[in-house]
Amino acid sequence: MSCIRPAGLCLLAMLTVPALADEADWHTSWDGTLYAYANRMTLRDDSVLNPYNQIARLPQASEVAELRTGFRVENETVRLSGRFIGSTREMRNGFGQSSRSEAYASLWQARVRTGENWNVAAGRDVLNWGAGQFRSPSSPFYFDNGRTDPMRELVGMDMMKISWTPDMQHSAHLVRVVRSGYGAVQPDAWRNSWLVKLDRRSDELAYGAVAVKAPHLGAFYGVHGQYTLSDELMLYGEFGSSVLPVVLQSPADEAQPYVVQSPSPRRSAALVGSSYTFENGQSLMAEYLHDGHGYTQEEERAYFQRATTQFGLPLGLMPRLLGRDYLHAVWQANMMSDTGYWRMMYTRNLTDGGNEFAAYGETTLHPRLSIFGLVVLPLGGARQEAGALFTRSVTIGFKSSM
Amino acid sequence: MTNDWVNAMKFNLRNLLQMVLLSVSLPAFAAPDAHSILKDSDQARGGGLPGIVWEIKLQSRDGDRKDEPQRILVKAVDDSSVAETQEPVRFKGSKILQVERSMWMTRPGLSKPIPISPRQRMSGQASNGDIAATNYAGDYEAELAGTENIDGEECHVLNLAAKHKRATYDKIRYWVSVKRVVGLKAEFYSVSGKLLKTARFEYGNTIEHEGKRIPFISRMTIRDALIDAETVMEFGTVKVKKIAASEFDLGQIQ
Repeated sequence: MSCIRPAGLCLLAMLTVPALADEADWHTSWDGTLYAYANRMTLRDDSVLNPYNQIARLPQASEVAELRTGFRVENETVRLSGRFIGSTREMRNGFGQSSRSEAYASLWQARVRTGENWNVAAGRDVLNWGAGQFRSPSSPFYFDNGRTDPMRELVGMDMMKISWTPDMQHSAHLVRVVRSGYGAVQPDAWRNSWLVKLDRRSDELAYGAVAVKAPHLGAFYGVHGQYTLSDELMLYGEFGSSVLPVVLQSPADEAQPYVVQSPSPRRSAALVGSSYTFENGQSLMAEYLHDGHGYTQEEERAYFQRATTQFGLPLGLMPRLLGRDYLHAVWQANMMSDTGYWRMMYTRNLTDGGNEFAAYGETTLHPRLSIFGLVVLPLGGARQEAGALFTRSVTIGFKSSM
Repeated sequence: MTNDWVNAMKFNLRNLLQMVLLSVSLPAFAAPDAHSILKDSDQARGGGLPGIVWEIKLQSRDGDRKDEPQRILVKAVDDSSVAETQEPVRFKGSKILQVERSMWMTRPGLSKPIPISPRQRMSGQASNGDIAATNYAGDYEAELAGTENIDGEECHVLNLAAKHKRATYDKIRYWVSVKRVVGLKAEFYSVSGKLLKTARFEYGNTIEHEGKRIPFISRMTIRDALIDAETVMEFGTVKVKKIAASEFDLGQIQ
């Protein structure tokens, strides 16, 4: 089977449900949220990578209306679930305006419990794990962890999965990744790959190990773990060893050209972090990330220098992170609060010394209506990652639950 | 000589018989065992059952300010639970998974489950441990500290001390009805002995387990000991059933 046909599988699952479920109770639920938000981005005119926005033509203003809905139908044996997103987006910049509308399933799944400890599932699933907030080095598919566009939900991978859960402490998953989900970069490096994941959850320690093999890439190996030291303190870490489909090498010698390498050499990324929760429920997180695929200080300097004469390539094949070492700190409100939430984030690229501050806030006006705002303030020059493209981004909007 | 021997034998046999009778009848008059009382009372709050599914309505008040009511669906087995928010609608589908001491929170659209600290509270005065099945017998060492009347009902008074770090509270003073063997009142203390919260329990529900009808918790009122704040939890649609381990698997929580 080279691809999954969602409608066919749903139909198959629905046809088998009555036989499997028989007298079992059905439970249904659904949720929906309407988002409307506007973004204003102040681009850097002297950008080395995108001078006067000539190359990327990024939107300087955008307005978005988005409907996110989810449903779940389940009994003891079968679970059908899905999450659908429909949006329309108006964008403007110095070159004119454009609009884009799209509708897609970000997640869906048909899951059947085939035995006491066994489940079989097919659908679109976000294969992301670990406790890291800044990046997810232990997942080959979601290293970015949604940070590039925080307003957008992650889209799952199309997959089939067999899960074995002998008890609450252990689980094992064998996954056939059929292809990356909606909107994936082509060619799809993860098409027809295999994934094995083992998880263990115990009293204070939870950890997992994962291996992924794609047909044309070296295997990915990852581990993640978290240790609850006390009621308030938690330590965690993630590690991944990977070969990327394509990388742009930037030799430290500026006289040398960029080198496009496919696939990349094997490199490792590791994240260590800790989280402290205060008596009032607010928490403070600090993370350090080392990404072996990033540039050294000299390589990053040469990357920007070369970009002054070679347009397009450095932006089009920009590495997932330019630097090699990062510090990320988060101070956030009690996540369980039902009246509002705020989150302050600080990131320092230790390789080039650039900084980025970001703040998100949300408050409830009515049980079904909240307003929110997100401000991103990069503090860096045109030749530092943080300030390479824009100097300020402000998003404000509301969301209404249905 | 023969008579003396016979008399001595009669005396010894009588003593032996008395000792046997005494040892047989002793348990009937022995002091009740604190651990057994605790274990039996746990059942009325979901402990020692193969699994339990219940819906909890929470209403919190802090002084004059009333928080928005919450409704959550909980699946629990011993120290593990999954709590899914039904109301308020803006949090619908949010889940808190607890497996022993490890906890995660997930919401529709979140990039991945977020690990959370045991210090994070559910709502108002309720802790995550309060919504899960109660397993005081497994989590605490119990000691009997006499009897007292609560609302005219005679109760065993138990002093509980946490056996391990995953216990929700460090120390508890727990009043268990002598007649109904259900907990009626609890005081929760910190390690230093400071009173943190008090709770009262009502048992308007009934469940069937192993052919027996057991009174089951219907309402828990938790009051802060330091400020004027309280949370009322009402337990409804209680079902005793085995819950698959996969329900507590983070990789299958979607």
